[in-house]
Formats: sequence, structure tokens, C-alpha cells
Amino acid sequence: MPDPLLSITDLQIGFSTSRGMIHPVRGVSMTIYPGQTVAVVGESGCGKSVTALSVLRLIPQPPGKYLGGSIRFQGRDLLQLSEREMRRVRGKDIAMIFQEPMTSLNPVYTIGDQIIEAILLHQGVSSREARQIAEQSLRDVGIADPGRRLDEYPHQMSGGMRQRVMIAMALSCQPKLLIADEPTTALDVTIQAQILELLRKLQKERNMAIMLITHDLGVVAENADIVNVMYAGRVIESATVEDLFDRPQHPYTEGLFRSMPRLGQKATRLQTIEGMVPNPAQWPPGCKFHPRCHRTRQLAANAPADQTVEIRTAEGSARVMARCVHDLPQLPTSGDPELREILPQHWAACHFTENYDNAPVTLPVIEHQREVRRETVENGVEGVVP
Amino acid sequence: MSEAIIPGTAGSAVDPTRSASTPPRSWLAEALYNTFGRVGARIGAVWIGVIAFCAVFAPFLANSRPYLMKSGGRWSSPLLEQLTGVDVTLLAVFFVGLGLMFVRKLNMGQRAAILLWVVALVLPLAYWPQIGVIWRETQWPVLMRGGLLLLGAIDLAALVGIPWSMRLGLRFQLIFAVVLLPLVVLLIVRPPNPTRVPIYEQYREMEAAGQIEWVLRAPLPYSPSDRLRDQFDPNRPHPRPPSWEHPLGTERFGADILSRMIHASRIAMGIGFISTGIALVIGVIVGALMGYFVRWVDLLGMRLVEVFGSIPQLYLLLTFVAFFGRNLYLMMVIIGLTSWVGDARFVRAEFLKLRQQDFVQAARAAGLPLRSILFRHLLPNALAPLLVSVSFGVASAILAESTLSFLGLGLVDEPSWGQLLNQAVSAGGGFYWWLATFPGLAIFLTVFSYNLIGEALRDALDPKLSGE
Repeated sequence: MPDPLLSITDLQIGFSTSRGMIHPVRGVSMTIYPGQTVAVVGESGCGKSVTALSVLRLIPQPPGKYLGGSIRFQGRDLLQLSEREMRRVRGKDIAMIFQEPMTSLNPVYTIGDQIIEAILLHQGVSSREARQIAEQSLRDVGIADPGRRLDEYPHQMSGGMRQRVMIAMALSCQPKLLIADEPTTALDVTIQAQILELLRKLQKERNMAIMLITHDLGVVAENADIVNVMYAGRVIESATVEDLFDRPQHPYTEGLFRSMPRLGQKATRLQTIEGMVPNPAQWPPGCKFHPRCHRTRQLAANAPADQTVEIRTAEGSARVMARCVHDLPQLPTSGDPELREILPQHWAACHFTENYDNAPVTLPVIEHQREVRRETVENGVEGVVP
Repeated sequence: MSEAIIPGTAGSAVDPTRSASTPPRSWLAEALYNTFGRVGARIGAVWIGVIAFCAVFAPFLANSRPYLMKSGGRWSSPLLEQLTGVDVTLLAVFFVGLGLMFVRKLNMGQRAAILLWVVALVLPLAYWPQIGVIWRETQWPVLMRGGLLLLGAIDLAALVGIPWSMRLGLRFQLIFAVVLLPLVVLLIVRPPNPTRVPIYEQYREMEAAGQIEWVLRAPLPYSPSDRLRDQFDPNRPHPRPPSWEHPLGTERFGADILSRMIHASRIAMGIGFISTGIALVIGVIVGALMGYFVRWVDLLGMRLVEVFGSIPQLYLLLTFVAFFGRNLYLMMVIIGLTSWVGDARFVRAEFLKLRQQDFVQAARAAGLPLRSILFRHLLPNALAPLLVSVSFGVASAILAESTLSFLGLGLVDEPSWGQLLNQAVSAGGGFYWWLATFPGLAIFLTVFSYNLIGEALRDALDPKLSGE
């Protein structure tokens, strides 16, 4: 088994606010192998972006604080590096692209100025060579006439073009890991498909790992090898993309799939997951999902009264299983179900999945890479993979 | 604000659909282009241009010494021989600046850097004969004086070498070599060395005595400190009202007012730009640190801002003049030290807004060092409100100097507009209208022009006001 490129173990991050410490990330673990695409899925506010930023140590400190855990990248714990060493990792070993291509480029400099600055910083080449590298990286992301484009300003480009520039900039230093924080959210659907296609192609060429942050399950299905579903600052399900789509184990994941429109299915109204993402300042006790969980309600309806409790929710009150509310408080912010390997290579954190009580508590490590029809990419066809 | 917008230029802010054939223009260049498309800013710019022209060419416009004369069969140019170091520096900056305007390849930052470099190179060179004077007159130990000299020499050598160490390309290096090296050599061989106590009447007396065979004089043949001692007339005491000889009249001691006003434009420009420059540097650094680091840095910085904001500028100036005498440079420093507060607040506010932006996050994710993020990526984006503040700052610095001179606490011998105003009312109660009108008009027009430009900048830079 080769060494993982990145392994995050039990990462805990706190933010001090005027109302005390809040914990947006509480014990996140995940592993990324070279060449893998690991998707991190979840609603807004579930901690996925904070996790991504913390890998580059871009959490502002203060108010942010690393409360525990480790982020090992190629054997080194990034949390132990000095700021100076960390700067050498940023952009060079780990690059990041952001959600908003319209605002991710500095409006006062040309595209060339911005790409070349990073190349000069990390690669120790002359400015003429840096320009050539920048030109090549623009060509790699499919921008026509890169020599002229280098001298243009961001406002002269469309959103899709700018996202390509961002990718070119991120990849110009040949990083081993690319963190893509919702790279296609702000783009329209055809451009989205092109950008993802491009990322897949470049990933294959360079054996680069991608950490894909998204809330779009369609994007996940098309691109990911491994999926980590996050809720309320924790990974609640982790599996290969095929496993997860075939056999979702956590009620939250099931809810996510149900709220997705399906081709050929007649429905007047899409299902939603009731309620709201809990506020990090006031996590509910026990399993953080129980106030919205349909599974615990179904179980409680048929369970003896001493095993259930009445809780107050946004819509009124509901009866849920007592175990979801009060479990052993083994975690700092109490009572979450542990992430257990309930099926081989399939981790979930729910008291009422099959086999939860007998499953071992292990760190999710999946070395899987899917076999997709990547030939379409080689033909240079731009569009959605069927 | 809307009356400042003329149809056709309004609403032509950054146009994303600009066709690919026009060369890309930076955001700042676009903003300046829009600003000077407005009538007010153009009028202001024209007047500032006139003042700047007067400041640069003052010795050529008004001077008692002839450009060129033939006396006793010998040709000479008293005017060129008597140029001062400041004259030479200003001329060099003017012509280099003019040349840079036609060089397409450089951006604004590079142009500003080259101009600064020229000043840093030419100014000490123009004064190098003074080194001997300083060497003889100071009491410092020889080792220290020698060390300072050596440092100066190394500094100059480094300055001369800069264009060749930058990767500017062979053509630029050639231009530098052709234009600047001869100037440097000339300054070292023939440094400006004006006589310390000039006798201005000398040339008029020579001419009256028929000793001058041929002469070419300046348009206004009076130096600002030429008190016309040879034309003393007890029946026509100074100050005299405007006449053909002296278009704006003479002041109390007999000097030509127009000449003094032309030369005073230097002080007006200098005090405006240098004190605003000092304010800008301090304001930007303090504001940038406050806005980027927030928390306790911001807390401390804002207290500093409040302390400096509470100092009454004029009273501080009066106090310093009382204790340390009348010194133009001291005035510039004090005006600068007391007026950075607004700049710091502007920069802080902009940085607070910008630090959350994605491109700053992206710059950090690319591993750029703090210095680059603060001054390369954040500062140019925060420049817009600063430009407005600078143009108003220059105006208020000019006013502060004029006020001080008007109160009789300004410069003594060097000409300044406020000092002329001061003479408009004599101790005996007489009122000389020409001494009040012309310098007053100059101050008014200059301050008004800067305000017009500031106003237009604000309109051009603020999308909410531009009516789109």
C-alpha cells in the first residue's frame, strides 16, 4: 500500500467569538492518495470549506485555532510547520482554486502578472522562462492565443475564462494536491462541464490529487473516487463513490439523494430535508442530525416509550430515539455517534445503521480509484461524460 | 455632482465588452482617463500645468541675468552659470518625465520609480560641491565624516547602476546610457555653483555703461530677489502699482511681483507634494497594518490616529516656527506629520473591505509573502479614495503655508504667495490692491484646481455617483 498524500486525522478547529468558542470542525478525518479525487460534500456551514482552508493553514489565527488533530502531507505535519515553511507548501505542493472566478483575480494586474508572480516565487526561474511557463499553462487549460491573453486584465474575460486562468495559475507550479473549493458553483452548466472535464484531464496527465469541495451531487457522481459527506463539522459517511450512491447508509446522505431531481421520475415537488443546519454556536446534544432525521422518527414510532424522548424542533415537537440524543459523551462536544466501518470500505456515523454496534472504529482509508470512461477526454471532446 | 458629468464621457467606466483591438488599459489608467474626461478636472489640470511649468522654468521666465550676452568680445551665459541645484533637478525630472510619457512599455508604477530614481541621482550630484563646505564647517570626527562620504559614494554608484541591474531590456539601458550618463558626468565636472550673494543690478549697469555688445534677456528681466537698487527714486516709493515695466507692480522692497509669483509657484508645488507625500507614506503604512491585521494592531493604530488627529496643525506650526525659526522643510514635515490621519483611515477602511476578498485569499493560497499581499495586491485596489484625499491634501497644504506666510511667519527672502499677501496692508494702514489681488488669485486658483480634480476623481471612481 503506498503512502497517502494527505491524511487528516481528528482535526478540530475552533473560532473564538464574542459569545465564546464555537467548533465548526470537530474531529474530521480523511485520507487522499496521489491521483485520487476526494469529494467533500455537505450543506453550507457544515465545515467543508473550513477543513479545506485549514489544509493550507489559511484559517485566520486568531480568531481561528487548531484545537487538535494533525494534517500530514507527504509525511510532514502541516500544523507543525513554521509560517515560512508553510508558504513554500502553499502554491507549490498544494494549490487551491476558489468558488468565485469573478473575484479571485486581482483586478489591477494583468493575468500574466499574476501567474508569473507565483511562478517566480516558487520555481527560481528567470522572468522570461516564467512567462513561457505561464503561456504554456494557459495553453494547457485550453485558452487560445495565450501570449496575448497574458497581457489582458481580468475584466476583459468571461467567468469561465477566468476560472480557467485560476486553474492555470494553480497548476503552473505542478502541485501534487489541488483543493478545489466549489470550482463550478458560480458558472453556468455548460461551462461547469468544461471546467470539470479540464480538471479531470489535467489530473490524469499529472497524477495529481484533487480535494473537491462541493454541494452538487451531480459533480460528485461525475468526478469523485471517494466521497466524504460532512454534517455539523464531522464526516458522517465516507465511501467510494459507487458504494455511496448504491448503498447510502446515513439518513442524511439518504436525504441528500432524495432531494435530488432524477431524470424520468415524475414529481411535482422535490423532497427536502426538514429543518436547518444547526448553528455551530448551539449544537444540539447527541447526534447533530437527530432534529432533522427521518430514520429516528420512524424507529421511535414503533419503539417502546422508555427508549424514546420528545424533542422540540423548528416545526413543533417530535419523538425520537433516546439514543440519538444521549449517547456516551466521548467527544469534546458530546455524544456524536462514532464514524465506524459498518461495511468493508464504507464508514458511517449513525446509531441506527445495520451493524453499527459491532463495527470497528477505524480511520477511513480508501485507496480506490474508479475506472471511468476517461477516453472521452483524450479525444478532446468537451462536454458532459455520459 | 451631476453637473460635472458631461454627456458622452459619463458612464464610460470600465467597459467589459471593450473590443480586443484596443490595447488593454489598467484599471487605474482607465479611472484617470475617465477623471480627465470631465470639464472640471481638465480646467484644474490646465491651471496646475501652468503652475508646474512656471515652477520648472522659473529661472528662464523671470531672471535679471541674460540668457546670452557678448561683452568685451566674449560670449557668456550668466543665467546658465548661475542655475542652482534645485533648478537642475527640476529640469531633469521634467524632461525625463516628458520622455517617459512617450514610452509605451512601462506601467505607472515603473514610471514613478524611474522619476524617483532620477531625483535621487541628480539632487545629490547637483549639490556635491557643498560637500567641501560641510566637511570644513562641521565638528564631527574625521572618521565619521569620511564614513558618511564613503556611504554617499557607494549610494551614488548603486543608483547609477540600478537601470543595468533591472531586467528592462537592452533598449532601455541604451536610452539610460545616452540620456543620463552625460548628465551625470556634466554635473560632476561642472556642478551648479551659484554665487552666494548675487548682484542683480550688475547687468543693467553694464548695459547702461555700454559694455554689452549683444544680449538676449529673459521675458521678464527681473529676478525675484532683485530689489532694483539702481532704479531707486524717492518720488516713486515701493510698492508701485502695475505698470508696463512691472506688469503686476512691485512689492515693499522693490522686487517685481510677477517674478516673485512665478518663483513662488515652486514653493506652492513643493510644499503641496512633499508634505502630502510624507502624509501618504505614513498614512498608507499605518492604515495598511491596521486594516490587514485588525484586532489589537487596529486598536492601537486607531488610538494613534486619534492622537494625531487631535493636534491642531496651525498652532503646532506656529509653535515650531517660534522655537526653531522659519524653515520650509520643517513646515513640510509638520504638515505631513499632522495630515496623514485621513489617509490612514481611508486605507484602513479599504483594507478591511478587501482582505475578505477572494483574490487576497487566492494570493495567500499561492504562498505569496505578506509584503507582496499588502503592498502589491491590496494597496493598488485601495488607491482610489487615496487619490481623492491626496488632491484635497495638496490644496490644504498650500493653504497652510500661505496662512503662515500671511501671518508673517513664513519664509523671509524666498518668494511665497502668502508672503506677498502679507504686504498688502502696510503698518501705516495703506492698502495695496495689487499685492492682495494677484497672489490671492494665484492661491485661490491653485487650491480650486486641486479641489476640482479631487472632485472629478471622486465622481469617476465612485460607481454610485457616476449615475450608471
